[in-house]
Amino acid sequence: MSLSTRMVAVLTSVGLLSGGFLAGVGLLTKERIALNKQQEIEEKISAVVPGTYSIEKFYEEKDLTVYGGKDKEGKLIGLAIHASGMGFQDKITFMMGTNTSLTKIFSLAILEQTETPGLGAKVDDKKSFLRFWENKDCSSILTLRKPAASSPEELGTSEINTITGATITSEAILNTANSSLERVRQLIKEGKVSSEGQDAN
Amino acid sequence: MPTKTIREEFVKGLWDENPIFRQLLGMCPTLAVTNAVINGFAMGLATSFVLIFSSVVVSSIKKLIPNQVRIASYIVIIATFVTMADRFLAAFFYPISKELGPYVPLIVVNCIILGRQEAFSSKNTVGRSLIDALGMSLGFVLALLILSSIREILGMGTFLGHQVMGSWFKPWIIMVLPPGAFITLGILLAIALQIERKTKSRR
Amino acid sequence: MELAAIFISAMLINNFVFYYFLGICPFLGVSKKIDSAFSMGLAVTFVMTLTAVVSWAINYWILIPYGLDYLQIVSFILVIASLVQLVEMFIRKISPPLYQAMGIYLPLITTNCAIMGLAIIAARKEYGLAETVIFGVGAGLGFTLAIVLMAGIREQLELADVPEALKGPGIALIIAGIMALAFMGFSGMIK
Repeated sequence: MSLSTRMVAVLTSVGLLSGGFLAGVGLLTKERIALNKQQEIEEKISAVVPGTYSIEKFYEEKDLTVYGGKDKEGKLIGLAIHASGMGFQDKITFMMGTNTSLTKIFSLAILEQTETPGLGAKVDDKKSFLRFWENKDCSSILTLRKPAASSPEELGTSEINTITGATITSEAILNTANSSLERVRQLIKEGKVSSEGQDAN
Repeated sequence: MPTKTIREEFVKGLWDENPIFRQLLGMCPTLAVTNAVINGFAMGLATSFVLIFSSVVVSSIKKLIPNQVRIASYIVIIATFVTMADRFLAAFFYPISKELGPYVPLIVVNCIILGRQEAFSSKNTVGRSLIDALGMSLGFVLALLILSSIREILGMGTFLGHQVMGSWFKPWIIMVLPPGAFITLGILLAIALQIERKTKSRR
Repeated sequence: MELAAIFISAMLINNFVFYYFLGICPFLGVSKKIDSAFSMGLAVTFVMTLTAVVSWAINYWILIPYGLDYLQIVSFILVIASLVQLVEMFIRKISPPLYQAMGIYLPLITTNCAIMGLAIIAARKEYGLAETVIFGVGAGLGFTLAIVLMAGIREQLELADVPEALKGPGIALIIAGIMALAFMGFSGMIK
């Protein structure tokens, strides 16, 4: 065999073997990887819309996805807004649970963030920052409490606490929350997101 | 290099030819994923997996590959094992895979792996290549563990997520941020060089 | 606005060298003289821009439509390697002066993790074509900025009295650490 045919033969067989091998690996892992991603989203939805039994995806666009959480009878009990916006370092992605008429935030959960550890990364702290988001009135625009309050009781009904030392991060989340609420209200008006069902209280 | 014993072939990866401290190879993952011990360890294992299997495959088919296309073939072989490692982590260790992000696929351009194929596996027997890859992997994992332990303990006051420093300790957050990675590795390299100089002058 | 944000972010805030730790080898290896550092930076920027376009096309025209995403790593690395070869041959034919200035750095780029990193990070962020290109240009210019600044400092360092053990990579990494600290000041620029 001449050298060039041997070169082509070797490269082709290496390529084919590797491709075939990877096709097997891809096939074996594909479902599980997709399941992992889906599970993560579902867990967050159940966490922010309490009592969720089944989930329906209503609408999707860039940086915003709206899910509906339903109870056992299939009645809509809340909306889960999956949104992302630019933070201090990079994009922050969160899941926000609200009631169906978008007047109350149940709670907030972080999916992705790369903020400064010890400062901005406190957005993911369930004992401090996220606790201040529970049961907020979002019928009007949410505002930021600066300087930070020490307990949830000190805050107004639609006021969000600042993370000390990470004002930009706090503002970024707040702005993303406000704009995504605004957008979802518009989507409901356009009939793209369903808001029929009973509020939890 | 058939003069080396099997033991020497293994031990050289730990110090004399340690990929990080002596050869300065594979700096990107070394700096990027050592912000916590668990990440450094997972990265070390993933890289070792790729290195060991690539070395075995390359050394066993080295006679079949014409010289002109050897680099291309090595790259395909390495990329195959990297894809396997990446898929496996994403399927069974999702949180770690998310934490390591793009750095698992980037093992494919880690200079240690291609470097060992070119310098060792393409010239030696399967057995020797395996021993060499095991030694190099262990050297790499140990270096990652040292770096990530220093950074996690000083930067967060924890080790593998457990609190190890007392309440008096105020974490040096900078250690888990990028500057801490560069500065810690710089100091470790200087210490390694100093030890080497001392032992050389004694000889 | 979105594109400007991606550009600034790739160049300064999430600088490839100081935030993603990509391209450390050439960053330490080719940063002894400002001239060569600048040529290296330009070569990287050029290849990054090309890679951005090509990797996007492969990903969205071939890999995703045919469900071949498990071939992503293999195809990206092969395409980058052949792309660099092609660019080198092309430049050598067309413009010898340009080849003199940046061609010699091209083979070094093949296994540069910054190029592969660009392709993978852009794919993971699910950027569109325009976004990917802007991301590539920004990342390349950010790399150029980092390596030229580093070379400037190292030229001065030649005259300094550095402890024997720190000479070479040790002091270079510590300087890189201090520069990374400075680059952290760019965080939060984009709201």
